[in-house]
Amino acid sequence: MNLAPVTGSASTRPRRAPRPIRAVRGLKAGHAFVAGYVVLLAAFGIVPSAYGIYFAFTNSANYFAGLSNFTAAARDFRYLPAVGHVAGYLVIWLVALVVFVTALALVLHQLPARRIGRLVRFLYYIPGALAGAASVMVWLFMLDPTVSPASSFLRLLGYGTFGQVIEPGHLAILFAMIAFWTGAGGWIVVMYGALNNIPLDVIDAARIDGAGRWQIARRIQIPMLRKWIVYMVILAFATGTQLFVEPQLISEASLGVAGRDYSLNQLSYDFAFQNNNVNYAAAISVELLVVSLVVAAVFVTRSRFFDAD
Amino acid sequence: MALVIRAVRGRRHPRPSITRAVLAIGVAALLAGTVAACGNGSSGNASSSGGTKDGFTQAPQSSGTLTVWVDSTRVPAAQAYKKAHPDVKLNIVTYDGDANGSNTLQTKVDLYDRTGSGWPDVVFSAENNEISWAVNAGFTAPLNEGLIPSSTLNNFATGSLAPCTVNGKVYCLRNDLAADVLWYNATLMEQWGYQVPTTWPQYEQLGLEVAKQHPGYLVGNAGDTFTPEIYMWASQCQANQITGLRAVTVNVTSPSCTRMASLLDTLIKVGSMSKLSVFSTAFDKKEKGKVLMLPGPAWFGGAVFDSSSGLNTPKGQITVAPMPQWPGSATPSTGDVGGGLWLLSAHSTHLAEAVNFITWVTGNNAYQADLAPGLPAYVPAAAAWLANQAKSGYYDGNITSTLQQAAGQVWSGWGYGQFSQEAIWASAIDPGLTAGKTITSMLPAWQSSITQHAQADGYRVSQ
Amino acid sequence: MPTDTAAPTVTRLAPPGAGRSRPRRRRPALAAGQILPGLLLIVFLVFFVLPVIWLLLAATKTDAQLVQDNPLSFGSWHALRQNWDALTGFQGDVILLWLRNSALYAFVALAITLVAGIPAGYALAMTEFRGRRALLVTTLVVMLMPTTTLVVPLFLEINAVHLIGSLWSVVLPYSFYPFGVYLTYIYFSTALPRDLLDAARIDGCTEFEAFCRIALPLAVPVIALVGFFSFVANWTNYFLPYVMLPESNQYPVQVGLGLLLTDVPQFNPTAGTAAVLRPELALATLVAISPVLIVFLFAQRFLISGLLAGATKE
Repeated sequence: MNLAPVTGSASTRPRRAPRPIRAVRGLKAGHAFVAGYVVLLAAFGIVPSAYGIYFAFTNSANYFAGLSNFTAAARDFRYLPAVGHVAGYLVIWLVALVVFVTALALVLHQLPARRIGRLVRFLYYIPGALAGAASVMVWLFMLDPTVSPASSFLRLLGYGTFGQVIEPGHLAILFAMIAFWTGAGGWIVVMYGALNNIPLDVIDAARIDGAGRWQIARRIQIPMLRKWIVYMVILAFATGTQLFVEPQLISEASLGVAGRDYSLNQLSYDFAFQNNNVNYAAAISVELLVVSLVVAAVFVTRSRFFDAD
Repeated sequence: MALVIRAVRGRRHPRPSITRAVLAIGVAALLAGTVAACGNGSSGNASSSGGTKDGFTQAPQSSGTLTVWVDSTRVPAAQAYKKAHPDVKLNIVTYDGDANGSNTLQTKVDLYDRTGSGWPDVVFSAENNEISWAVNAGFTAPLNEGLIPSSTLNNFATGSLAPCTVNGKVYCLRNDLAADVLWYNATLMEQWGYQVPTTWPQYEQLGLEVAKQHPGYLVGNAGDTFTPEIYMWASQCQANQITGLRAVTVNVTSPSCTRMASLLDTLIKVGSMSKLSVFSTAFDKKEKGKVLMLPGPAWFGGAVFDSSSGLNTPKGQITVAPMPQWPGSATPSTGDVGGGLWLLSAHSTHLAEAVNFITWVTGNNAYQADLAPGLPAYVPAAAAWLANQAKSGYYDGNITSTLQQAAGQVWSGWGYGQFSQEAIWASAIDPGLTAGKTITSMLPAWQSSITQHAQADGYRVSQ
Repeated sequence: MPTDTAAPTVTRLAPPGAGRSRPRRRRPALAAGQILPGLLLIVFLVFFVLPVIWLLLAATKTDAQLVQDNPLSFGSWHALRQNWDALTGFQGDVILLWLRNSALYAFVALAITLVAGIPAGYALAMTEFRGRRALLVTTLVVMLMPTTTLVVPLFLEINAVHLIGSLWSVVLPYSFYPFGVYLTYIYFSTALPRDLLDAARIDGCTEFEAFCRIALPLAVPVIALVGFFSFVANWTNYFLPYVMLPESNQYPVQVGLGLLLTDVPQFNPTAGTAAVLRPELALATLVAISPVLIVFLFAQRFLISGLLAGATKE
């Protein structure tokens, strides 16, 4: 039993367990542990981000510009369509990612033979190595009914040429599909590892009590994955709003026919590097950041993400 | 448990950590701002000791390593220079040549401008719109104000330096010509008894006949992103009339555009024009051996016909004719697709060596005639290049004079703006084309797309 | 039954790793409940793997075969050989130099990431200190910042310390890996019971000793996970080296692939004599991703965590 009195340096947040003597030593040790990371965070996280935010609120002559960068960027003819595109993409992407990653991780976890599970996880992960430039040619061929291994499937859907597959109406689904293809494998690995940390006793107890696979998943595993799922949703939302790689690679593959200036992040990139207008670019980035932060804040507070327990 | 005593603080901070975090970022932002403000004051302009000479402010000169940026295809050019000048210190950097809209050069020059150092001395670019931003950014040096003698500049084919010229100043050298000509299969034409068309109505007529008599064969292609630069430009369509460094006139609903649009629509409808890109796998599979005629740039020969990954047409069949003309046009006009540029950096500290490099690499036979894949823009080298090509015997007859003549016929009313006409056509027209719409019906959309992109790039658009 | 993440009971009936051999109730072999999950696995297997199989086979074909033949047909060993020769012939084995660069950048950054990040995640999860929450919030905010706008500030920053063009211009930003710190944080906060550490502290361990002796051995799965993800993020990063590295012989393989792509005639018709054919690009892609896959295979062994061993006095 811990009988030591607590010194006055403890914080006032209510805790579930009383705080033992480690508080004083913990303080200094904690700082020492995070020191290296804090240096990196300051140098490569805070300073560039702050600089970026600074750009968003100033003009090219470094005078304070209020919200004029935001309004000017929003008046660009590509802005509103891009917002619509990203919104449509986000819905498909988030739902697909959360549902399928969790489902696949759960199913994989229940495979009796560990070897098969390992192999399948590896195979699911391989596309994750094909990020970006590496997969331009892959998708050019996959989506071209004349040369694709999936050509019968594409023809079944009624598409005879590459141009028909990359029709504007299909793009949200296409990009979500490509993003899922590269991104899901990693998250499945993470979720699988998280599932491994659920003590078997708990699951065994449930089984003995008569719970079926579904119920175990729903009542025990998923709730215990709560923090991981929240983390995944927050990041998936942020990367979804920052959609860039997938339309860029389809744009390269199609020589500009589809995917050009599709997303807000692409527009931001154009502003920065085609028009040398870092301020408009930063304005869009800040907007994306704010949206992601709001969503993150909602999830974080509702799931008590930051609690040390 | 019950014996734990907790010291309670006087007041509670609502979420102190968030406030602290925001404060930290805010302070950092202010600091960053101060640094930026101080930093920008001294942002990269040449120091006064360089002085104004040859029409621009030169950086202080010194001798040293010449840094040249080339794409993979032009690496042999830099290596040939090195071989011919073993005493020159040359740093050859390979980059993507700004091809396929990658915008690498502008991105990097932007960054170097902010830090005031790092620019290469000479750059090759496959993107012939470079000058549209590079002049404003102060990156390129004017070449005709003392750096390069006018005798050299006059040896470039007429009109080839148009993408380099702004307000009478020449800011780059042209690497190769890419004027559009009418490529055709002489064997098939002869076999079927067709005459090579010299006017567009004749061309259209021929297209309709071919569709009836030899369905599946093509007289042209409308599915590329550079299609407007072949057909619309040749038709003198006012889609891209650059009138100043930041001014453009766009009027695509005028007759000079609609006549070509309806020609294309007619031939697409009967099937003698394809809607696929000439470099797509579908085109490869469908149209191999089925191309009767194909209007296109000078480099089509090597890239499309005589290429194992292209149509791979057998020897002795392909030749060229001048582009058809509209009856009643005073001077013959054709379009242009591509043709690389060599830029000289105004920030270079080795101007003399850079000038040597750039004039050698564009004009010397050791590279341009013997090794270059495309028709050189420098006329003496072009003659030698064409002689080499004639030796290969791939083409039926002599294509020399036609290609050279076409170079001088590129219509000057289609300019080089910062906004990419190819990208605009690709995103505004190609999807509709695939979906079955006619080009004529999409002309207003094309007009508004060009206008919007031009305005977004800071151009004043007149209609 | 507990449904929240309160510290789980740690007493165990079996040693770690043997969990799977517990007695099972017998179930019928092909219950309906088995078909749906099985189908799900297979459908996604095809989805994930088909393009990769295509890529593997594409490297064995000639360009004409790639277009004309069946997409899933095997080419020939001869064509594979030719593609390999063409690839290494491109600018004199530059692909091998690019691979070496990638490895250098990725591993050095990985080392720094682990050294800085694992203790940080541990401290965030298991210790109390001023600014803990601020750090978590700041990390999250910075992680969500779109990277487009970070490029120019980063470039200016690196330039200010005269590191442009050196490997540190790439390695140091890589080493900042907040995603890894968060993974570590979540792992420790959900998987490591405080009682263990309390027990250690009572026994007189310093924080550092507690970390080294207790937390680290139990953290092998998350170290492998963070290490692996960091490695992959560094290996596949395109934009940062593209911006920071001025010389083409400093490029990592990802940027090199981008360069190769612009020499494929179908993407850049003016490629001329330096043309890179598509099967060659496919081979280059395979070469570029294989280190990632090898590292994954290696890390897999550690990714399967044994559940926590040992027990605390309760």
